Amino acid sequence: MINLSTGAFYERSTTQIGSLRSRAETLQQQIGSGQRLEHSSDDPVAAARLRMLDREERVSAVDTRNSQTAENNLKFADEAFGQAAVMISRARELALQAANATTSDEQRASIATELDGLRQNLLGLANGRNAAGHALFGGQAAGNAYQIDSATGVATYVGTATLDAVEIGEGQSIVPGNTGPEVFSFTDSSGAQTDIFAELSALSTALRAGGQAAADAARDGLTMLDTSFDKVTTAQTVLGSRLAWLEVMTERRTENMERIADERTVMGGADLAVTMSRLQEMLTVLEASQSSFVRLANLNLFSMLR
Amino acid sequence: MASDLLSIGASGARAARGALEVTANNIANASSDGYVRRSVRIEEVASGSISGRGTDIAASGSRVAEVRRNADGFRQAEMRRTQADLQRANVELSGLENIEAAVEQSGIFNSIVEFEAALQQLSGDPTDSARRAAVLSEAETLAAKFNITSGSLSSVGEGLRFNAVANVGDMNTYGAELARVNLRLARAGFGSNDQASLLDQRDNLLEKMSAFASISTTFASDGTVAVSVGSPATSFVSGGNVGTLSSTTAANGTMSFAIDGTAISPGAGSLAGAALALDDLAAVAIRLDSAASSIASAINTAQANGVALDGTAGQPIFAGNTAATLSVVLSSGSGIATAPAGSPANERNQQNLADMRQALSAANPADNVNSILFDVSAKVAGRKVTQSALETIASSARIALEEQSGVDLDNEAANLIRFQQAFQASGRAMQVASDIFDTLIGIGR
Repeated sequence: MINLSTGAFYERSTTQIGSLRSRAETLQQQIGSGQRLEHSSDDPVAAARLRMLDREERVSAVDTRNSQTAENNLKFADEAFGQAAVMISRARELALQAANATTSDEQRASIATELDGLRQNLLGLANGRNAAGHALFGGQAAGNAYQIDSATGVATYVGTATLDAVEIGEGQSIVPGNTGPEVFSFTDSSGAQTDIFAELSALSTALRAGGQAAADAARDGLTMLDTSFDKVTTAQTVLGSRLAWLEVMTERRTENMERIADERTVMGGADLAVTMSRLQEMLTVLEASQSSFVRLANLNLFSMLR
Repeated sequence: MASDLLSIGASGARAARGALEVTANNIANASSDGYVRRSVRIEEVASGSISGRGTDIAASGSRVAEVRRNADGFRQAEMRRTQADLQRANVELSGLENIEAAVEQSGIFNSIVEFEAALQQLSGDPTDSARRAAVLSEAETLAAKFNITSGSLSSVGEGLRFNAVANVGDMNTYGAELARVNLRLARAGFGSNDQASLLDQRDNLLEKMSAFASISTTFASDGTVAVSVGSPATSFVSGGNVGTLSSTTAANGTMSFAIDGTAISPGAGSLAGAALALDDLAAVAIRLDSAASSIASAINTAQANGVALDGTAGQPIFAGNTAATLSVVLSSGSGIATAPAGSPANERNQQNLADMRQALSAANPADNVNSILFDVSAKVAGRKVTQSALETIASSARIALEEQSGVDLDNEAANLIRFQQAFQASGRAMQVASDIFDTLIGIGR
């Protein structure tokens, strides 16, 4: 005959009810936190993947910031180009007026004054600063892009030859602007390297000198201003395409973030509906075993002894 | 004749009372640890007839022949073995869980990612003082997290070692106690109540010892036991003699054990679990140190190759090359060498920062820490499965033993009625003897 020991009955009941309870508590914790994993050891592979996702997300956040900075700088440059184009158009109008045979020397002198003013403004634009306070067209230089000789007024480019690209994630990088020579320098009709500041000051000097030479210089100046205008608008177009590329990358990043969020939910999220119904099931079983335990524990021969 | 009847009734009453006492004792000890259910064997007192004639009635009543202890040696041994395995798994698992918590909850992985992100952010504008300060403060957080993790790991080790040393002490106490029980068992009478309770004590002590280490037992016919511990099996208790179990802690925090100077491995039980967990701990600590040192050397080497914001040569950012000693020594963010050697002050060229990030990503501390975490947590997950299997096995072995040797209150209630009735019946027999005697006396009147 097998001896049904009282101790064994209590021991078995304790083990069973205890394990049901702990399983119910685990489920309750998953519902409370919305996470399936409390410790890495609950699912080591998923936990390792989740950590890598966190890392990707963090890096992506920095990429977003860097790409926003690049976008700002590009927009600054874009705006400067727009203004430069307006000024160069105005200079062309003035040159056209000066080239006219009916224009008097006095009028040409006043045109020269306005051209000087335009040149100053263009120099101001070229020495503009970006959002971080660095030279907008100075490449990697810390200060101004163009240095103006206080005696002669000659503008010399003092920035670096190139501008470093900025990482914007997924191995892509973008050059967040242009250097001065890329926008303001060009080759003149004789094939020599020159820039708009030198040409403008030469033009205004010629206009001040007066006479037929002034009208001829103004006519030559028209070609020069056209070349310069083309150069600025080309740079602006390139800038526009870079901005468009940035937008594409931003979109990609957003999609990537969504993918990360999705994957995280799949990997580590607790499915509320499933977890809830499993908890309910567990609680039903737990209640049933508790009440059957109480009933069985009360079944005692001693209670019959009177 | 009638006096015979009286003494027979008295012996029956005595036997029934003895059985009632044993039953009451069983009930009282229904939930005592290590108590084995007793039952009485009542036998007839056989005596030769006085006149020597075979046909004469020769009844002399009954007596309690033996208080039997319903222990099953095999089930007890099985319970000790499974319990030792379970204890090993429990201690190892809890040690590993603590290691996991130490590495995971300190957030060391996140701080490495944050540090990398801060460097990447700096590459957006290498002369920005705010971004430089951010790199430095992330470096400080990183170093602090390594220190915290290392501290938590060493307190996990201290906890494990403290428990193991306490267990070694307990083991020696139980061994000495068992030797005393052995001595008394050798003198106890067979089948006596005294022997039964000594055997209870003996089994109880063996059960306690098996929670610490794997033990093998040899029982002598008088109930004394010789105990060998661990592997190679080394004699620990033999008769009244007891050895001394000792523990030694190595420089890396791992533990080894010896009995009377003979090195043993505990094999199972909490001591084996502690030894295993400490081995894992030492391995994790080494890997963590190498992650810390790879960060420090990658960053400091890159620093030395570049110039700081003010154009001076880059100074180390980190000092120390273990997880416990890693610290930030650079005082200002402007000291981060982003520009290549030979650059002037306020240089925006970030070639050296790119090299630094390259070196850091080649050392890949984030991946290293991730794999430490993965390995530890995978081990925890594996041990959890083992532990829950061992728990089931141990619990069924315990229940099997309880079922065989434990007290069933219903049974005892039935016994109580049975022996009470037997007592009353014997009393009735004495009453009859007295009536018969009275009748015989009255005949002469």
